[in-house]
Amino acid sequence: MSSQRYTPKSMFGRVVNEIEETAIAVLLGLMTIVTFINVLLRYGFNSSFIWGLEVTLILFAWLVLFGISYAFKVTAHLGVDAVTNLLPSRLRRIAALISAVVCIIYAVLLLKGAWDYWAPFAALQPTTGRWFPTGIAEGVRDRAFYITDQVPMLGIFRWLEDAINYGDEYEKLPRVVPYAMLPFACALILFRILQATWELIIGKRDSLIVSHEAEDAVEDVAAMNREG
Amino acid sequence: MDVVILFSMVIGLLLIGVPIAVSLGLSSMIFLLAYSDTSLASIAQSLYQAMAGHYTLLAIPFFILASSFMSTGGVAKRIIRFSIACVGHLRGGLAIAGVFACMLFAALSGSSPATVVAIGSIVIVAMKQAGYTKEFAAGVICNAGTLGILIPPSIVMVVYASATDVSVGRMFLAGVIPGILAGLMLMITIYIFARIRNMPAGEWAGWGEIGASFRDAAWGLLLIVIIMVGIYGIPGLTGAIFTPTEAAAVAAVYAFIVATFIYRDMGPLAGKDGAANTSLLRKPYVLVTALFHRDTRDTLFDAGKLTIMLMFIIANALILKQVLTGEQIPQSIANSMLDAGFGPIMFLIIVNVILLIGGQFMEPSGLIVIVAPLVFPIAIQLGIDPIHLGIIMVVNMEIGMITPPVGLNLFVTSGVAGMPMMSVVRAALPFLAVLFVFLIMVTYIPALSTFLPTLMMGPEIIIK
Repeated sequence: MSSQRYTPKSMFGRVVNEIEETAIAVLLGLMTIVTFINVLLRYGFNSSFIWGLEVTLILFAWLVLFGISYAFKVTAHLGVDAVTNLLPSRLRRIAALISAVVCIIYAVLLLKGAWDYWAPFAALQPTTGRWFPTGIAEGVRDRAFYITDQVPMLGIFRWLEDAINYGDEYEKLPRVVPYAMLPFACALILFRILQATWELIIGKRDSLIVSHEAEDAVEDVAAMNREG
Repeated sequence: MDVVILFSMVIGLLLIGVPIAVSLGLSSMIFLLAYSDTSLASIAQSLYQAMAGHYTLLAIPFFILASSFMSTGGVAKRIIRFSIACVGHLRGGLAIAGVFACMLFAALSGSSPATVVAIGSIVIVAMKQAGYTKEFAAGVICNAGTLGILIPPSIVMVVYASATDVSVGRMFLAGVIPGILAGLMLMITIYIFARIRNMPAGEWAGWGEIGASFRDAAWGLLLIVIIMVGIYGIPGLTGAIFTPTEAAAVAAVYAFIVATFIYRDMGPLAGKDGAANTSLLRKPYVLVTALFHRDTRDTLFDAGKLTIMLMFIIANALILKQVLTGEQIPQSIANSMLDAGFGPIMFLIIVNVILLIGGQFMEPSGLIVIVAPLVFPIAIQLGIDPIHLGIIMVVNMEIGMITPPVGLNLFVTSGVAGMPMMSVVRAALPFLAVLFVFLIMVTYIPALSTFLPTLMMGPEIIIK
């Protein structure tokens, strides 16, 4: 398979990278297995896990949201480089820095949105302000009692009942759990974009984008051709 | 007017090198915050619901995963061997076999660049050795590779179906006849070229070789059968067995089993550095350990990464779609077009032009998510069949992939063949003309796309 992998230099970086890549692989693997088992159960045994579909969709959202930050780290997001490639290197650098700033604005707005959306589900208060957080709101209605449609309650989340649900028992997994990926992922995205911007400034990378999805694979083949 | 600002912002950001997803997302966010009462919280919710609320899009990661397992070199090699056995003895046989192999591989994978990489990396070298020019080889594969998104299963079709609420099953069926037709047209063109320029022909290896290579490739090709029978059932015997999403998941698991336990190109049974593959009987415990093998993890990760890249764009394009529908933009365009007296033919020409230009700059699935909601309501009002419209859009995307400056397949081919971009462009040109003729045929002969779905699934009910 592809050998042109992103390999960080420091030990810590390698561990983090391994965790991120494994998380992506595991999330996709779980989605596939849950869906597959449900098909088998339906045709083989005329039954199914009623939570199968909802769990798969949650894992799907987690996979993508979590993965966005990883893709920023390894410069895997698709973009158009036809114009910037024509620019002289000084201008190209300026364009890259502007686009980094644009990405930072995007991530900040998204992080605020993610927090505002998630907070009521966790019995927390969202921020005020339309564009940028200006303070913490007061008296926004608590949504901690919202539960998912079918996902069973897991023992490890029982503490949430006392923490945010006035001690009431949750019959199903509360929504605060799946939605928690939103603020977490958005914070990671912001972090990775800031990191990428820093690397742009010190000259360790020259853009935030790749021009097509198969760049790794093509690199592999090109490397093979050179050897062969 | 506001819409003009919105689109100029998207294009402006794209051109300075902002990731496509961020260009779409940020422009729509600014628009929503400035002109409507939508809050950032509900935008974040849309982003989450783009995945968690779209059952149809769930097919994308599974199709990508199935094609990742199938893209491990061995399947492509077996398909190529089978193709050469079938048509290799004709004049220009290797090139025709290349097209045939691309068609078969397209039916295993939903993406065009993947097809070019898998088939091109083997066939282009082989064609050079057999005495073809490198340019000819690159031109053939570059064009035939675009069939990846037309022959089902196709990721772009899943995206179209999801953006416009038509059935994925119908879209897949609709791609069958055009896909085969485009392949045949390319093959005939190659044959004519080969006659004129007296290109090499291979040896006829006999029916035995066809049988043997087919048996070898059958495990891979069975994937198509699983998907098609799963989605449509066996005609006359059963109804549909799976939804397209389930079919994709089953295909992914099947592809894993074939790659790991039958072909043993990857995973614990694969022979390292030329050593022979191990038999499953000697290591039965790998049935369990294969799930955690490094190769399995890497393939899952590769597929996951590609899913993330595509879904990030699609999710943001869905936010843009929200802006467009909220502002009733498609309706106002539709009305002004109808008032100006444009008929269906004029409309389809305009759609073709928009997509041909857009397809050169943007990744196909993202472009579909944005353009489909714009043109879909207009098409319905003009009485154009939604399935037909979908196929037209897909064929446009194909052509966009091989036209400069930003044709995706051009990049990939230039990398795979080790040729400069410009010579690939020149090499692809004659076949590009063929695809243009094909586009005109698909646009003005709706039956090409609608015949099979109507036959298999009954006439379509269109709700205006």
